[in-house]
Amino acid sequence: MTSIVVLNSQAHRDLRVQAAASAQLGDNERFVQVAVSEFAALVAHYPILFAKNSDTGAFFVGAMLGFNPGENLFLGAGDKGQDSYRPLNLRRQPFFVSGTDLAIDLDSPRVGRGEALFDGNGEPTCYLQSIVAILGELRPGLEMTKLFIETLLAHKLIEPITVDLGFDDGSRLKLIDLYTIDRNALKDLPDATVLDLFRRGYLYLIYLMIASLKQIPVLAQKKNRRLHESAG
Amino acid sequence: MRHRERAETRVRPIQNIVIVGGGTAGWLTAGIIAARHKARMKTGFTVTLVESPNVPIIGVGEGTWPTLRSTLEKIGVSETSFFRECDSAFKQGAKFARWTTGADDDAYYHPLMLPQGFTELNLVPHWLRGGGDRSFCDAVCPQGILCEDGLAPKMITTPEYQAVANYAYHLDAGKFAPFLQKHCTEKLGVRHVLADVQTVNRAENGDIASLSTTQSGDIPGDLFIDCSGFNSLLLGKTLGVPFKDCSDVLFCDTALAVQVPYDMPDAPMTSHTIGTAQKAGWIWDIGLPTRRGVGYVYSSRHSSEDAAQEELARYVGPAIKNLSVRKIPIRSGHRETFWKNNCVAVGLAAGFLEPLEASAIVLVELSAKLIAEQMPANREVMDLVAARFNDVTAYRWGRIIDFLKLHYVLTKRTDSQFWIDNVDPATVPDRLKNLLLLWKYRSPWFFDEFDRLEEVFPAASYQYVLYGMGFRSEVDRADCDGNESMATRLMEENAIVTRQMRSKLPRNRELIRKIREYGLQPI
Repeated sequence: MTSIVVLNSQAHRDLRVQAAASAQLGDNERFVQVAVSEFAALVAHYPILFAKNSDTGAFFVGAMLGFNPGENLFLGAGDKGQDSYRPLNLRRQPFFVSGTDLAIDLDSPRVGRGEALFDGNGEPTCYLQSIVAILGELRPGLEMTKLFIETLLAHKLIEPITVDLGFDDGSRLKLIDLYTIDRNALKDLPDATVLDLFRRGYLYLIYLMIASLKQIPVLAQKKNRRLHESAG
Repeated sequence: MRHRERAETRVRPIQNIVIVGGGTAGWLTAGIIAARHKARMKTGFTVTLVESPNVPIIGVGEGTWPTLRSTLEKIGVSETSFFRECDSAFKQGAKFARWTTGADDDAYYHPLMLPQGFTELNLVPHWLRGGGDRSFCDAVCPQGILCEDGLAPKMITTPEYQAVANYAYHLDAGKFAPFLQKHCTEKLGVRHVLADVQTVNRAENGDIASLSTTQSGDIPGDLFIDCSGFNSLLLGKTLGVPFKDCSDVLFCDTALAVQVPYDMPDAPMTSHTIGTAQKAGWIWDIGLPTRRGVGYVYSSRHSSEDAAQEELARYVGPAIKNLSVRKIPIRSGHRETFWKNNCVAVGLAAGFLEPLEASAIVLVELSAKLIAEQMPANREVMDLVAARFNDVTAYRWGRIIDFLKLHYVLTKRTDSQFWIDNVDPATVPDRLKNLLLLWKYRSPWFFDEFDRLEEVFPAASYQYVLYGMGFRSEVDRADCDGNESMATRLMEENAIVTRQMRSKLPRNRELIRKIREYGLQPI
C-alpha cells in the first residue's frame, strides 16, 4: 500500500528515512526507468533498453539490473548497497513530486529510522537537499527522455530485441517486450536528419544505447558468478 | 508518318486515373492506387477524384474484414488516428443468433481466427468423431469465448495493426470517407475536384474520353473508375452494362437502420457483430465506442414495413421511441461485367449484397488492389487486364452470394414463409448445392475450390457456419487414423491459448478507451 502525503517541516519534523540501497527496502528491481541525463553514467554498468508501460503502452527507457522479477544483480550480498551507479529513480525513494511539492510515501519500508529530514531548526538536512536535487534532475530528465523517444519513433529508429540467454546452471531465459535502436534504420537516415539528431544531442544518446548492449553478456556473467557463489 | 503516330497513340501509357464518387469506395480506391503508384507520380502519373458537392454519401458497411488492417497500413494511415477519427472499434467476427432453430439459446460464432493448426490438419473429422457435441468454434479456436467475455483482441502494448487475436473493425462510415479524403489529398497526392459531372464524353472506340463538369470544365483521363454508388453513372448509365439481380437467391431488399446510444458512456461494448434472425430477415447490431449501429434487413415480399418496424422496436427496446429509423432500399446483385472499355466499377456501382458477412468494404479493397497491382501499362493491354479482372471479380461475387446463402439454406426454421422459401432448392445456386452434397461426406478443406490466392472466404469460414448450424458430415472414421495424436495436441493447444488469452487480454471497452487516450505504438 502507499500513503503519499506532501512533506511538511512541521508534521514530518522527526521523520527519518533509510537511504541506502537494499533489496528489502525496494531496490529489488530488475528494470528501472531512467532519464537521458543518466545514460553516460549508466552505460558503464547496465544495458539501456526501451520497454512499454503496461498501462498506457507508452515507451520508456530503463536500465537492466537483473533478469528475473525482483532480481537486482548489483546489490551487494548482505545488504552492502548498490556496487555501482544507482539510478536516480532508486535513489529518490521514498520521495515523489506532487505538483510543485515534495511528497513522501509514509507506508514505504524506508520510513522510520535512518537519515533525518529536518534539523533542529526545521531546515532541510543535507540528505533532504540531495533528494530535492535528485528529483530536480529526474523530472525534467524524464520529460527530455519522452521527447527523445518521440523523435526516435518518428524516424522509425526503435526495433524489438529478444534477449536469449543460457546460464551455467542450465537454465535458459528469453526476455521479450524489450526494444533497442534499429541500426539499419539509423544507417539509412538522410544526412539532414543525422545532422539534426547530432545537434540535438540525440546521436550521442543513440550510440550510448547501442554500446550498452555489450553490458548484456556482462550482466549474464554476473548472474553466473552469483549462481556459482550460491552453489559453492 | 501517319502509321507511326497511330502506333504511338496505341501505346500511350495509362497515366491519368479519374475516380468518380467521394464515398468510402472512391477514397479507398484512390488511396490504394495512389500509394501503390506513388513513385510514378514524379513522371506524370495522376489520381483525380471527382466528387459532386451535392450528392450525399450512402455510408453503408460499418463492418469490415481483417484485410482493412493491411490496407490501411499500406496506404500509410496511423491506426491510432483511424480509431480516434472514425469512431472505430474492434470486430472479432460475427455471432449468429436464432438462425438454426430460432430458439433463445440458438447461436454460433463465425470468428476471424482460423482453427488451430489449420494449415497442418483438418480438425473437423476429429471433432465429429469426438461426438461433435461441443461447439466446433470453441473446440478449435479461442475467439468465440473471447467475444462472449467481452475481451479485446489485443493489448495497449501491442503495436498498431498487430493482433493477439485476429481482428477487423466496426467503423462510422460517415467519418471514414472524410478521414481517407484528408489522408489521400494531404499525403498521397490525390487531386480532389468538387464538381458535378454533366456529360460523359466518349471516344470513337467507345472509351470514355473525358468528363464535362459544371464547375471544373473537362476532366480527361486514361482510366475511369466508377465509384458513383447505386447510380453507376459510368459503367451502368454511360456504358450500358446491365445489372444482374440476385434477389431470387437472397431475398432481403430493404433495411431499417437506427443508431442506438449506450445507457452509459462506459457500458460494455461487444467486439463482434451480432446478427439475429427475425421473421423476414435479420437484425445487425454492431458496437461503436459512442453508439450501437442496429438495423433490420428484411424481405418486403415477406413482411410489411409496419411488421418490420415492430420487430426492430422489439429488438431495440423502449429506447427506439426517441430514435429516428432510416429506411434504405437495397438491391442485391451486381453488374454483369465490371470493367468495360477504359472504365471499371468499384463499390456500390459494381453491386451490393446484404451486409451479412460485411462484404462491401472488402470487395472495394480487393478490387482496388487488383486494379492497382494490374494497372495496365497502356490502352493496348487494357482489355487483357479487364478480362482477367472481370473473371476474378465475377468469381468473388459468386462466392459471396453462395456463402451468404449458406447461412439461410441450413436453417431448420419453418415459423415463417421467409425461412421456408429460403430452403427451396430452386433458390440455391448450383455450385452451393453441389458443395453441400459433397460436404455430406467430407468437410470443407483445401483442394475444395477455395484455393485462389485472395479467396474471399477460406474453407475455415464454411466450416464455422456449417458446423455452427448443426450440419454434420458423415466422415469415414478411418479417415482420422494416424492423425489422432496431432488432433488431440492441437485441441489441447487451443485450450491453452484460450486460457492465456483470457488471462491477459483487457476488456474491449477499456482498450478502446486507452487507445483513444494514449494511442497505440507504431512498433
